[in-house]
Amino acid sequence: MPKPHHYLTSCRHAAYVSGVASLLLSACAFAGEDGARPWTFGGFGTAGMVRSSEHAADFSATPLNPGRAGHSRAWSYDVDSRLGAQLGYSQDRWSAVVQVVVEHNLKNSYTPVVEWANVKYQVTRDLSLRVGRIALPLFLTADYRKAGYALPWVRPPVELYAALPVSNSDGIDASYRWRAFGMRNETQLLFGRTSAALSDTMDARANGLAGVSHTSRIGSLRLNATAIRGTLGMQVAPELFMGLRQFGAEGGRLASRYETDGKRATVIGLGFEYDPGQWFVMGEAGRVNARSMLGDKSAGYLSGGYRLGAWTPYGAISRATSNTPTAVNGLPTAGLPPAAAAAASALNAGLNDALSHIPVQDTASAGLRWDFASCAALKLQYDSVKTKAGTSGTLNNVQPDFRSGRRFGVSSVVVDFVF
Amino acid sequence: MARQVFLSIMLAAMLLVSAGLAGAADLVVIVSARSPVTALRADQVADIFLAESAVYPDGREATAIDLGVGSPLRDEFYARVANRNPALMKAYWTKMIFTGRGQPPRELPNSAAVRKLVAENPSMIGYIERSALDASVRPVLVVH
Repeated sequence: MPKPHHYLTSCRHAAYVSGVASLLLSACAFAGEDGARPWTFGGFGTAGMVRSSEHAADFSATPLNPGRAGHSRAWSYDVDSRLGAQLGYSQDRWSAVVQVVVEHNLKNSYTPVVEWANVKYQVTRDLSLRVGRIALPLFLTADYRKAGYALPWVRPPVELYAALPVSNSDGIDASYRWRAFGMRNETQLLFGRTSAALSDTMDARANGLAGVSHTSRIGSLRLNATAIRGTLGMQVAPELFMGLRQFGAEGGRLASRYETDGKRATVIGLGFEYDPGQWFVMGEAGRVNARSMLGDKSAGYLSGGYRLGAWTPYGAISRATSNTPTAVNGLPTAGLPPAAAAAASALNAGLNDALSHIPVQDTASAGLRWDFASCAALKLQYDSVKTKAGTSGTLNNVQPDFRSGRRFGVSSVVVDFVF
Repeated sequence: MARQVFLSIMLAAMLLVSAGLAGAADLVVIVSARSPVTALRADQVADIFLAESAVYPDGREATAIDLGVGSPLRDEFYARVANRNPALMKAYWTKMIFTGRGQPPRELPNSAAVRKLVAENPSMIGYIERSALDASVRPVLVVH
């Protein structure tokens, strides 16, 4: 069948990218041609460069995948760049999937990580069970946030998504699809635990995870609510808390208040997405309370975009606030002998340094997505970011000359692709 | 000034939309002539093709059959039943696949192949050009 004329003419102006595009197109077919095939293979990736005008710290998308834009490098390729591949097998009611992701990690390496590996059993048409490493359904885009092609932005708004960077859980879940009140609903229950390497010698763990995630769809509107709780198993800055405990009841109280190990963490999130096709608007609000020096954080964003053919200009505003003080008096030093007062002051400085990493931050973003090939998109984004309340916001590798409260710009150019 | 820019953007958008309509052929969504399904709404068809539903409204199993990526008929089908252009469909399947929620439908090369397979399988649903209709299949939705 000959193609209608308008497809050819509308493609002509894009001829100069046809070299790149044809390469991508030829490598670009999801499961596709034969649905009877039990094996599926696919992948996704992002190649990006990021520049930050804040040179006294590095800009990151999440704390677990430290970017090096700003202080360490003028242009950092490791803020958003990653590669993922997924192998699936499906037979009758059983299916299995393994997804491996390569991205910059806290050990400063690109070791491939098993993002998820699970076996699914379809009990009925509407009820399914999974066992293994499962994507955590935190927030609207959390379970596909690494597949940048599926996102409207370069990266999910850091204020909300860096608040809980963990993306998977080892355990079980059950998903049930149901209809009511003209809405299509899916309710997911999960139980598991998770860990993330913070360094070569230290892991952060969350044990006893229990969560519920619910999505309702009505027409072009999607609503999501999530609640998850777990117990933290991680000893961040143990020397600080050992030190505090040497200062009597007040020191013990501060240590119990701010240490991380054994603390119950709760996460709640509410989100909506309205996408009738020509444009979209979406927003989320969440609260992550770690009952420790990791903070009790509230964050949210509002975003929208308008589609003009292959071009999608978009904007977003987002904000993170702390529900607890990000600076405290700490141990009283008055009346202490000079040596003890100096030690107490040092501990207070250490505690306040930790609290200054609880992000209080605003961002306004503008960007443009260009779908230049059928499985690749170029995105340009500018973020105007301001850290607040004496904190270093979502920045990492914070240098002594960093000053909170300065607005800075983050420029990103990425190509997202799927195969 | 802002108003003029807005109006010219709107005008450009309308031109794009009408250019799309000018080349449009009538599409029909079909099931086997042996299937008990007689009519479906566009949103019910979209649910099945987007793997949101594995069943017809009466509860019987439903399997969607697609045309290949790049087919103008496919682009028109998803633009009309799901309000999604090819890039949005790709983004949609990226979400579904890489969260383990679903796989895209099996793809066939043309209307004749879709009609033949759907005719032989009462659970299957496809879409073809209206001119490719014959007695082996039943139209359940005409997409304008």
